[in-house]
This record gives sequence, structure tokens and C-alpha cells, in this order.
Amino acid sequence: MKARPVNLLGRVYLGLVLVFLYVPILVMAAMSFNSSQFYMLPIDWSFDWYVKLAHNDRLLEAARNSILVALVTTVIASVLGTAASIAFFRYDFRFKKVLQAALFPPIAIPWLITGTAMLLFFFWSGIGRGLHAMILGHVALALPYVIIVVSARIKGFDPDLEAAARSLGASPWQVIRHVTLPYLAPGFIAGALFAFAVSFDQFVISYFLSVPGVSTLPVEIYTAIKKGFTPEINAISTIVIVFSITLLVIVSRFYRFGGDR
Amino acid sequence: MASVTVSHVSKSFGDFQALSDVSIEFADGGFYALLGPSGSGKTTLLRQIAGFSFPDSGEIRIGGEAVESVPVEKRNIGMMFQNYALFPNMSVFDNVAFGLMVRDTPRSEIKARVGEALELVRLSGYDERKPHQLSGGQRQRVALARAIVFRPQVLLLDEPLSALDKALRLGMQVELKRIQREVGITTIFVTHDQEEALTLSDKVGVLKDGKLLQEGTPRELYERPRTAFAATFLGDANLFNGIADDGELALADGTRLRTLEPLARSGRMTCAVRPEKIAIVEDSAQLSSDSNVLEAELEQTIFAGNSLSYLLRHGDTSLRVFAQNRAAADLQPGQRVRLAWCSADTIPVEA
Amino acid sequence: MAVSDTTTAPIRRHRPSNARSILGLTGPAYLWLVITILLPLAAMFYFSFLSDVPLPGRDWQVTLSNYTAFFQQDFYRTLMLRSLRLGFEVALWCFVIGFPCAYVLAKTIKGRWREALFLMVIIPFWSNALIRVFSWTMVLRGNGILERFLDWLIPGFGSLNLMFTYEAVVIGLVHSYLPYMILTCYISLSTIDDDLIDAARSMGASRLTVLRRIILPLSMPGIVAGAVLIFVPVIGSFMEPRILGGREGTFLGTVIEDQFTSVFNWPLGAALSFILLACVMVIFAVFQPILRRAS
Repeated sequence: MKARPVNLLGRVYLGLVLVFLYVPILVMAAMSFNSSQFYMLPIDWSFDWYVKLAHNDRLLEAARNSILVALVTTVIASVLGTAASIAFFRYDFRFKKVLQAALFPPIAIPWLITGTAMLLFFFWSGIGRGLHAMILGHVALALPYVIIVVSARIKGFDPDLEAAARSLGASPWQVIRHVTLPYLAPGFIAGALFAFAVSFDQFVISYFLSVPGVSTLPVEIYTAIKKGFTPEINAISTIVIVFSITLLVIVSRFYRFGGDR
Repeated sequence: MASVTVSHVSKSFGDFQALSDVSIEFADGGFYALLGPSGSGKTTLLRQIAGFSFPDSGEIRIGGEAVESVPVEKRNIGMMFQNYALFPNMSVFDNVAFGLMVRDTPRSEIKARVGEALELVRLSGYDERKPHQLSGGQRQRVALARAIVFRPQVLLLDEPLSALDKALRLGMQVELKRIQREVGITTIFVTHDQEEALTLSDKVGVLKDGKLLQEGTPRELYERPRTAFAATFLGDANLFNGIADDGELALADGTRLRTLEPLARSGRMTCAVRPEKIAIVEDSAQLSSDSNVLEAELEQTIFAGNSLSYLLRHGDTSLRVFAQNRAAADLQPGQRVRLAWCSADTIPVEA
Repeated sequence: MAVSDTTTAPIRRHRPSNARSILGLTGPAYLWLVITILLPLAAMFYFSFLSDVPLPGRDWQVTLSNYTAFFQQDFYRTLMLRSLRLGFEVALWCFVIGFPCAYVLAKTIKGRWREALFLMVIIPFWSNALIRVFSWTMVLRGNGILERFLDWLIPGFGSLNLMFTYEAVVIGLVHSYLPYMILTCYISLSTIDDDLIDAARSMGASRLTVLRRIILPLSMPGIVAGAVLIFVPVIGSFMEPRILGGREGTFLGTVIEDQFTSVFNWPLGAALSFILLACVMVIFAVFQPILRRAS
């Protein structure tokens, strides 16, 4: 079947939008393999900047911090978020709507405001800045995502499945192990991956809560950009973006974006 | 196998009285249908027998043993749910094997018995499919196999056929009946579909507003309903309201109907007559002496292939008459016709 | 009526004994949010009325001067208008570019292709925003990719001088937030029954009329949701203007950042943050009914 001209036009347009979305990222990735400092063309392919990166202790240290903060954030946000999701599913209570609405501010308020407010409060109250403060902040940002994703999964759970398992002779523990947990697992995994991605890519909050010498990868990259371009940033940025995209492709296997189709 | 005895069970949720003083004896190996509209308490009763909730008062015995303190998983009952509740993450085999697995049955025996059960429901070879790869009818068979594979004492069915379309439903009715006979398990079946209740079960209990109105064989219930509700909920019925006079029912226009037995009481009475018992007769037809005769005006004829329904009016009463499409007369709307039926088919009912 | 016939009704009903489970399950999550969101905002609100940071050895008193500064000095008002204009322009461009894109995805492409393309559109949105903005510097800078491409297309094209301009900031932000608009419009559009469009066409409506009278009104919740969700972070942006705008990139967001990271006038920064937050809340309040419909 031949596409009608209008459809063809639409496809070309969609292609152009994708070019707009991906070209800068691809350019950056290509430049990370160009040995020329000044981005000369044609590209002189090499791994020079990646080799240099391997010896940049500051960036490597920041990368380690990023992963550490993201892992701790994932564990805390997953546990707290799943517990809250279960409460929302299992019980009806007076403040449920209020609590659910309270998930909105961490997502909706510009990070600049939450970030500066955290800086000011943590500094003033003695909590201080540093990795522990970043974890505090990242968990707050990741929690709403975890609760939304896990709740979406729980909502589809048919209570009759638990009833059926019990009628077949399963003890309460066997019901949880063989029926409830296997059903919830994809939602739980998607929530955890979301939490990791939110934390790993978070810049604004980390920026305000970092102290010199203790920062995460995005903060370190920002500092480097402000100081002036060095192609090493291209290399580390390419690694980060490939990592994030891989992570999100994995998430999409567990969680359908944009509702069911 | 075991019988189930429900005695004087009551249950309420807040202000809602779901069951009030219900007593039923479910015979060992019998197929009993609990029939009623939604909210009648039939599902509540089933869930009490299963053990998902407990009666406020009264007692339930399974196989002679009081089960008040026995949790669901220890009652050894098989249950089929309305939406089948198949575990979506497990294959057909694992679904059916579940009841055996939690009973720590040896692996080899599980294999053999699941195979048998799948053969019984004619799903051999479907072991590795996931529930979402099955049709509605196939899911239903898996649910049935899962509920009987561990040889429970009682099989509970919660509207198991309601999610199927009509053609599949008729096929499954036959299957269900065959399997129940082969296994010989005491079966309690909840439904709001009177046809299902009549064709499948050997005993039917009609529930309404948490009370058991009447129980008996399908035939007894159909031929001798005791209440107007039972008469209309189980099949179609024409209801005649009148006053009992000299053992007969006198209608408002003076027509007198004779009943099965002369009416003992006096005062306002209702009688029910099944639409297929009434015939449209020629004016000149010779009628037997125990016939009731009534004049009515034809309003509409509904043609349904093998049968016809006539909608008629007698005074304020709407009437319905079924006729086989054999020698049905070609009647015009507005035409006055003569109806006749046997007085033995005129059943006094409680309004 | 059907209370008795449902499994869940008796389980889900609120009983006092549940209060402890509810508290135990939701308590930790919400305690966390109180410490990291609610208390900091409260502290910031308090700071915005002080003359200096309330630390031992500092001289501070309660004052309104941080707020009066905003309303009396033209500098801040201009800044505010500049930020609002930026938010508006970015949201508008996102709509202009994103809506047709969402339409093509939702209505003309089917099956696996749609899923794959949809994923391709939203993936960059979830990857690191800072790096995506940074990648534009390579495209926009003098003698960068864009200029060389145009020069190759039209020899002797000359220079665009886009880097470190207002336009560069808009381009970077549109790139950052475009997937948002496509996502919300796509969700709205995919709920429109194709039969509606066919029905309108059968009654003699032209394609344009269908778009104007059926598709646009029905997808309005998605468009508004997208616009609000873009507008709000854009008026609070500071990293994008700094990287792409250079000296031209002074907005409310960058001035607030300055107060906290280089000028160290936290009370003024707090007051400006709260004025920004007030703007955000007004916007959410105004569009609340449409946003609710969109979700």
C-alpha cells in the first residue's frame, strides 16, 4: 500500500524533529573521538580523550560519587515508595488524597527553588552539605516517581488472585512468595530504575549541595564547562548519555510510557 | 467428598444485611445452584463456605466438621472465580500445579496429576502457554482443572460462565456437567442466570435479599414456584391478580380462573401461568372441562425463528404467550383472541 | 447494593486497627518529604524576611526590604518579565514543533513503529539535561557544526553569531523540553476516537475544519498540560542560560543562583525564590481544572 502524500509529509517532518533531538548529542559523541582539540573537521578518529579521561582523577572520583549516591537513593526510595504504594492500594483513609497530592511538589516546583531551599535549610540546621545531603535530596525527588510507577502496577492487581491462591491451599507466606511478589516485581524494578536514573542525572540539587572536592559527575562537568571546553568532557558526557539511555531502554521494558497502547 | 451443611447463618456488612438466617443442606456429590439477583447474598454465602469471611452467627460444616476456626487454605475446597483469577505470571501447567505444589506433592506425581486434569478439561498440550495466550473458554477450563486437581472435598463456582459469550457458555455447561459427574465432587454453583441453574444443577436454591426463598429440583422450582419473584426470576410467568372466591380466582372483569387445587384462603391472591402453557384457540374449539379461558387483545407478535411470542393485553394485565413455529396462526395486531390453558397450570403464588 | 458480592469491600473498609499499618507504611516516605521539601521551603520563607543569615555573630533583623527591593527596582521587574517571556516563547515553540509531531505519531503511524518512534522521542528527555545543553555549544558556536553546514550548503554564508545569545538559550531550552509537549499531546491525541474524525469528514468538514473544531479542542488538556509543565521549569532555569547565553543569559533563575553561590545574599535569594514560587503556584492554580482533566 502506498502512503498518501500527507502521511509521507508527516513522516518526513517526524524525521526532522528526530534530527533536531539527536544531532547535538551525536555531534558531541563524534567529537569525543576526534583527536583535534579545536573540533577540526574531518574527524581524526582516536580514543585520545578517553585515555586522558582514564587519568583524570577528579572526574573519576565524581563518577564514583554519582554511582554511590544513585545506588543509595535507589534502595531508600524503592523501599519507602513501595511501602507507601501498598498503603495507598490496601487502605482507604481520610488523608489519602492529601498525601497523594503531596507527591506533586517535588516534581512540579522548579529544582532551583527546591535546591536553594535545601541548601539553606541543611546548612542552617546543621545537616550540612555533601554526599549525605545529596542523598536526602535525591530520595525526595525520586520518591514520587517510585510511588507513581509502583502504584500503577499494583492497581492492576486482582485481589481474587490472592483469594484463589489461598483457596488452593497456600499459606499467607506462600501467597506472597508465589503470587503477590512475582506480580509486583516488574513495577518494583521499573521504580528502582527510575529512582536510579533520576538520581544519576540530577544536576541542580547536587550542584547546590556539593562542597568543593565532594561532588557528582554532572556538577563536575558543569564546573569544567564553565572553565572552558575540553574534549574530555565530550568523552565523559558520551559515556554518561549512553549509560542513561541504556538504563531508560531497560526501564521501558518494564514500564509502558504514555499509558497502554 | 463431603456434604456441606449451612445452618442459621447470618452476616451483615455495616447496615447491610447480606444473609439472614440461611440454612441449606448441600448433599454429598450433588450439584447445587444458588440462584439470585446481585445483592441477594449468594456470593457472600459462597465466600463463607470457602472461608474468606466468617458468619456473624450460625454454623457451617464441611463433611460433618465445623469449620469456624479453619482458615481458607486448610479447608480443602476448590474454587473457581468469576474472572478465573489465573496467575498471569505462571504457565498453564504451573497454574494447575499450584494446589499440589503448596501441598508438597512429589514432582513426578504433580506431573501425572496435572496431565490427568488437563486431559479431563481437554487442554492436553497447552501446558506451556501463558493465560494471556488462551481464549476465554480455555482459561475457564484451566481454572476448573486448577480447582479440582488436588481432589478437594467441595467445588465452589462463582459465576464461572458469566464472562463467556453465549455460544461458548452453552458448550461449557455441557462440559461442566460431564466433568462434575466424572469426578463426583460436591459442587456449589453461584449464578444469576436461571437457564444455567436449571440445566446444570440437580438442586436449586433461590435467594433474595439475603434469604433463601425456596429450594428444590429444577423441575419442582419451575413447575411449582411458591412466590411471584421465584416464578418471574426462574423463567417467564404471566401473573394474574384477583380475589379468591369459592376456591377460584376472580379477576377484575369477572373472569374466573380455576387453579391447581381449589384456593383455600380468601382475599387478594396472585396466580402464575407459564407462557408456553397457554394456547391461542379457535372460537369454535372444543376445550376440556378443566380449562381456563380468557379473551385478550393481541398487541404484537415477535418472531424468533423456531418459536413465536405473542404480547397480549387483558384489561390492565400484559400477557405473554409462546408458541412453537409449527401451526401458529397468522394473527394481526389489534385482533381479539381466545386463550386457553389447563387449570392445573395455574399456580397460586405469594405476591 | 452489591456490597455483599464484592471481595474487596470488607477488606478495604477503614478500621481503626489499620491506622497503625497506614502510619507504618506511609510514615517514613512522608517524614522524608517533610524534612527535604516542606521544612526547607518553610525555612526559606522565614529567611526571606531577614536582613542577614541568622547565624551566631551576625547582625540580623526581620525586614520586608528583600521584597520591596523587587518591587521598587526596575532591574528585578525587567528580569522577571524577561524570564516570563522566555517561558512563554519556549512553550510556544514547543507547541508549534511538537503538536504536529505528536499528531503524526498518534494518528498516522501504527503498531511497532509507533512504539519505537515514541520511545525515540522521549528517551533524550530522560537523559542528562546538562549534557544535552552542553552538546548545543558544539553546534552553535562560531565556526561550529551549524555554521559549517550552512557554509557547505550556501558557500560564503558567513557567520550567524548564535552562541551566547537569547536565541541560543531558546534553542537549547526548546530542545530540552520538546519531548514533554510531544508526550502530553500524544496522550491526549491518542484518546480521540478516529471515528470522530471520520464522522466529521462524512458530514462534509474539511481537514482544516476537523483540526480546528474537533482535534484541537479535544487535545487542549494535553497542550495546556505540556505548556504548563514546560513554562514552570523554564522560568526557573539557570544552567541553560549560563551555558548558552553567556553574558546575554541573565534571567531571574541566574540571579537567584548568584545570591546563593557567589553574592551570598541568602535572604534576597530566598525572597526572589518565593516570588518565583508564587508565579509557579498562580500558574498551577489557574490551569488546575485543565491539568486535572489531562491526568
